[in-house]
Amino acid sequence: VRLGRIKQLPCFIRGVFLSNKQTIDKFKQAFLEEAGEIFVELEAALLELNENRGDNELVGRAFRALHTIKGSGAMFGFDLVAAFVHNLESAFDEVRNGRLKVSAELINLSLEALDQIKAMLQEAVGNKAASPAVSAEILTKLRQLTAPLELGATQAAPVAATIALSGFPAAPGAAAVATRDWHIRFSPGPDLMRGGTDPLLLLRELRQLGNLRIKANMAALPLLSELDPERCYIRWDIVLTTSAAREAISDVFIFADDSCALTIEPDEPKPLAASAVIGKSVEKHNTEPVVTAISAPAGTTSEASKTKSPSYGRRATDAPDAAASIRVSSARLDQFVNLVAELVTVQARLLEIATRRDDPEVIAVAEQIEHLTSSLRENSISIRMLPIRATFERFRRLVHDLARDLHKEVELSIEGADTELDKSVIDELNDPLMHLIRNSMDHGIELPVNRVKAGKCPTARLRLSARYSGASVLISVSDDGSGIDAVAVRERAVEKGLIEAEARPSEAEIFALVMAPGFSTARQITGVSGRGVGMDVTRRRVEALRGTIDIESKAGAGTNITLRLPLLDYDFGLTPIIALPRKIASAFCGDSKAANDGPYMRRS
Amino acid sequence: VPATLEQCEGVCLLRLDGDCNIASAAELKSLMAQALGCSRELRIDLEHATGLDITTLQLLWVCGRDAQASGVSIALVGRVPDDVLLAARHAGFDRFPVG
Repeated sequence: VRLGRIKQLPCFIRGVFLSNKQTIDKFKQAFLEEAGEIFVELEAALLELNENRGDNELVGRAFRALHTIKGSGAMFGFDLVAAFVHNLESAFDEVRNGRLKVSAELINLSLEALDQIKAMLQEAVGNKAASPAVSAEILTKLRQLTAPLELGATQAAPVAATIALSGFPAAPGAAAVATRDWHIRFSPGPDLMRGGTDPLLLLRELRQLGNLRIKANMAALPLLSELDPERCYIRWDIVLTTSAAREAISDVFIFADDSCALTIEPDEPKPLAASAVIGKSVEKHNTEPVVTAISAPAGTTSEASKTKSPSYGRRATDAPDAAASIRVSSARLDQFVNLVAELVTVQARLLEIATRRDDPEVIAVAEQIEHLTSSLRENSISIRMLPIRATFERFRRLVHDLARDLHKEVELSIEGADTELDKSVIDELNDPLMHLIRNSMDHGIELPVNRVKAGKCPTARLRLSARYSGASVLISVSDDGSGIDAVAVRERAVEKGLIEAEARPSEAEIFALVMAPGFSTARQITGVSGRGVGMDVTRRRVEALRGTIDIESKAGAGTNITLRLPLLDYDFGLTPIIALPRKIASAFCGDSKAANDGPYMRRS
Repeated sequence: VPATLEQCEGVCLLRLDGDCNIASAAELKSLMAQALGCSRELRIDLEHATGLDITTLQLLWVCGRDAQASGVSIALVGRVPDDVLLAARHAGFDRFPVG
């Protein structure tokens, strides 16, 4: 999860007060890039939640992603987006509080909303306008989903209605909910404000949860002459009386949790008037303090801050690891790799000249440079390597949407997602994988009723996998559908004049025909496939990567299509396949052919 | 910078204008230090301030405290906008930082 990165963005802009438009645009662009990662995270959480509807951790993931998009969107001036997301966030807050159940309807609506958020962000940066009608329709559906809750609460008890209207969600099954005092100690770290977070906004957000008694502690404020004007020295002791859950309180500090010390301790619950309380609160009383301090201010290492926080939907991986990685554009990376390639060429010349002149001192220096250049080359190549996970995970949404549209039940499994490939290869694999999955879903996998008739489980299995195999990387798409009908393929090939009527091709040769341009056994073109283009595109892309496609299929049992991407050189160890731009390949490999022949595949 | 300092016959007038936040905090601190260093009376005008963040509120508080400690008379002049008063209240100040 990269939620932390967006939280850190403001540190670059030191608030949104800068008047420099170019700077603001730059950070808006950075936000858009980061938002893309949050969208992937949100989509994955929603799709997983669809499979595991009782998983509160997944609900928390979705909620946090929405909260981050809303907060960061508002910060960077995407107000419409923030307002739109707020509605969805509220719905997931209801889910978190147990008032709204996860349903297929909610998941599908959330995915639609996610698409609309993307469109709205694109519109905000000058691309095609997002349809306001779509936004309105989504919000209407969302209201319909959540309206019964409000109605039910109103009918159940006036007290509960008052609570719901004032923004304090009631516990499930309870017409009214006990309130509780929470003792909160909030100590901003030295860099909180420089990171773009104003504690005043957090305190105001906290105030919305209930009745707040707050005391600013000025003890740490130094003399004016010694005061760092961009640091917050004030600490706050707060008592919040609310029926809101603990996680709702800690979520207020979600943007600050890496640069403040925070303790949240509950008191005994305060029940409402006995006659108003029907049912029981489901929230367990817990006297353990919640501490969400990640980076306490200098010199404050209280016992409380050492206490490990219970999860409450938070995970260790949510903590930003700013020092561990930085964002670099592909263009700059390519430029770096290009420069290294130039350096390799020059270094080779240097060594050649040094050897020719037979000067031991120059030779020694040239050899040192050769050694360093070699390390630099290995490094520059390895930094382009990415796990294929993100690409694979992106197809969860495609599978979900196609299953819904085609009325099929499909379970997608992913294997070998940590297999690393060069970024350019991964980019090239997107379209082939998409076409293979669409074909599998449309032609291979049967309707549930037909699967049951065939003695199969109504839910089909679709598997995406990646692995190294000797000198190749194998990317497979396999399903347990109906398989390829070899007879039908042969007949169609004869019809299209691809083979002679009397020809007797092997099964493998018949399967290979499905990759021919314009070839399709489908008599009807659907919105998904049937034009005979997808497999042709797949073949061309894989061939461009100097790969091959293996098709295995068994009637009634399923199909397995494997993209075998070759490793042409074996001299440099077992690092994964890379596709080098021609110029670089030529410089790195000394292969003049590579300079003229499209992408050059080799091992680093 | 949404702050100006005027000096007239031994009295300094510090005016805050518009949105005062971390972007102007360093400059505000500098003006406050200048005012405390060269005057026995400091007046602060917040009438045209539209918003104060924590950095500005704590600067006002420190300025008030240090002024008292060094015998400088400090007071507010003009009306303090409701939003500004509310900011101090929401920030948990018992009373407005100055005056």
